[in-house]
Amino acid sequence: MMGQTAPMREAAKHAILILGALIVIIPFYVMVSYSLKSPREIESNTGGFFGAQAPMVDEYCVKVGNPKEDCLETPVIFNYSQAIKKAPLFRYLLNGVIVTASIFLLQVLIALPCAYALSKLRFWGREFVFSLVMFCLLIPVHAIALPIYIMLAKIGLTNTYASLVIPWTISVFGIFLMRQFFMTVPDDLIDAARMDGMSEFSIVWKVMLPTAIPALLAFAIFSVVAHWNDYFWPRIVITGDRDLYTPPLGLREFQGDADGSMWGPMMATATIIVTPLLVVFMLAQRRFIEGITLTGMK
Amino acid sequence: MAVSSKNTGFWFVAPAVSLMFLLLIAPVLVAAFLSFTDYSLGNQGFSWVGLENYIKMFSRSTYSKMISASVTYVLLVVPLSIGLGLGAALLINSVRHFGDFYKTIYFLPVMAALLAMAIVWEFTLHPTIGLVNETLADGCGAWTETVFSFGWIPGIDGGQSWYSKGCQDSFPLWFGDKSYSMGTVAFIGIWQAFGFNMVLYLAGLTSVPRELYQAAEMDGAYRAWDRFRLVTWPMLGPTTVFVVTITTIRSFQVFDTVEAITHGGPSKSTYVMMYAIYEKGIQQNLMGIGSAITLVFLVFVLLLTLVQRYFVERKVHYA
Repeated sequence: MMGQTAPMREAAKHAILILGALIVIIPFYVMVSYSLKSPREIESNTGGFFGAQAPMVDEYCVKVGNPKEDCLETPVIFNYSQAIKKAPLFRYLLNGVIVTASIFLLQVLIALPCAYALSKLRFWGREFVFSLVMFCLLIPVHAIALPIYIMLAKIGLTNTYASLVIPWTISVFGIFLMRQFFMTVPDDLIDAARMDGMSEFSIVWKVMLPTAIPALLAFAIFSVVAHWNDYFWPRIVITGDRDLYTPPLGLREFQGDADGSMWGPMMATATIIVTPLLVVFMLAQRRFIEGITLTGMK
Repeated sequence: MAVSSKNTGFWFVAPAVSLMFLLLIAPVLVAAFLSFTDYSLGNQGFSWVGLENYIKMFSRSTYSKMISASVTYVLLVVPLSIGLGLGAALLINSVRHFGDFYKTIYFLPVMAALLAMAIVWEFTLHPTIGLVNETLADGCGAWTETVFSFGWIPGIDGGQSWYSKGCQDSFPLWFGDKSYSMGTVAFIGIWQAFGFNMVLYLAGLTSVPRELYQAAEMDGAYRAWDRFRLVTWPMLGPTTVFVVTITTIRSFQVFDTVEAITHGGPSKSTYVMMYAIYEKGIQQNLMGIGSAITLVFLVFVLLLTLVQRYFVERKVHYA
């Protein structure tokens, strides 16, 4: 009996999974497809996935006073070139890199010595510090945005890179994760390093850091994904200065000004912003999923 | 251990501890303090208003709508994204081929910037030219209408079905209609979150010992459902407690979709707490009431975590 039902059952499972996959894919399909099509094709929902790529007239170019023949462009080129020209998209991407990288480096710089001390050193107040870490794990940083914003505004730091980075420099979660990892490192390793005359400071960076690479990589994935995609915090502290926009903020401003004809360029912008992480994820899938689950499982 | 480590330990934790006080503890205290005032940024002073902000929160309809929007969102997203996550994990775990492929696809929304995807969903669900409504309209009068109006099931009037009515009249405005807006925003939340839960459940499933299934089968659990009920589900207990907590806390923090698409509307149907904090505190510079909402928010999160700890200590662990 099993022999007959198993293939059917297997097929049914795949049918459900494929249906789910199609629904999950819809917005990605729309995003990439719209970024390739002309406004007319978008509005009439024609042209399939790639659009006909018939040359279209750039209305703005005509308005400026150029003859129509000079303003013909292929939709895909129009969309992506507009995405870059209308807003300083590369600047946004660069800001995204600067901010996520600074956040991660500072988090490690502050969390690693603390995690080492909590797991391998004996000192007065250690239990207190550990309970403090456990308590702070309860506080979502997004929730206390208002008081942090007020504090930053009082010292005149809003609209700076510092305001984008400072609130995230302390990652209690990072401390906790690294401490758990360091607990598994044998004491002999550290004692041997001490025998060799290494200072505690260099033990952290030359002995502990290299052993902690897997955990650190998981934490890096967690941190970079969270801050590259974060929209709430930049929205709050960056109010006017376009030069400081992070990618999601840049896209949101684009949405604010866009009329119907700019949908193509907007989707091109969205594609450019979303793609880097997705590509890295596809390349290092196993690591990503392990990283996210490891950091998720606490 | 070396004597010098006494001081070293202190210096190693000092930066982290000062930052914890400065960036986590102090802000909570500041928020608590400001929630009893009418402070605005830029004003010289402020006056004490006592419990006024809290009284407002529990008397004005705006804030009761806020609480109900947040709670509705959480109650929609948490069970559905966990159910789908678990379902996907079980299916992927049991198919012979392509499991990794589905896993990759389902995980994509977790990696993509929610704000960008919210804007794409807004296009996709555009009332007139969005892909969803166009596809629905294309199906009108064709075999799809016959199938999905369910008139072929005895006892159901196909003409009165959701689909046929949509064909005659028009399909929903999704974000623009207050009876659909919350459901639609929650749908995006579920779409985004279930892949994350799936991955956690897949990790949980790998720790279920094979022998338990054999033992259960020997004891008469022949049906898949029985094996799930007797072995898989109890063994996934710790994962479930964790998944529920993290999904709930994250759902309470929903902001991107609301800010980009609905702005809390129509008629406050999607006015969730994080958006309220942003609107009151940042946009309208009403720091007093914003802080009061912050405090209520923190209490919610604290309660949730305490409930989680309680469950963990009650040994949801069977291993």
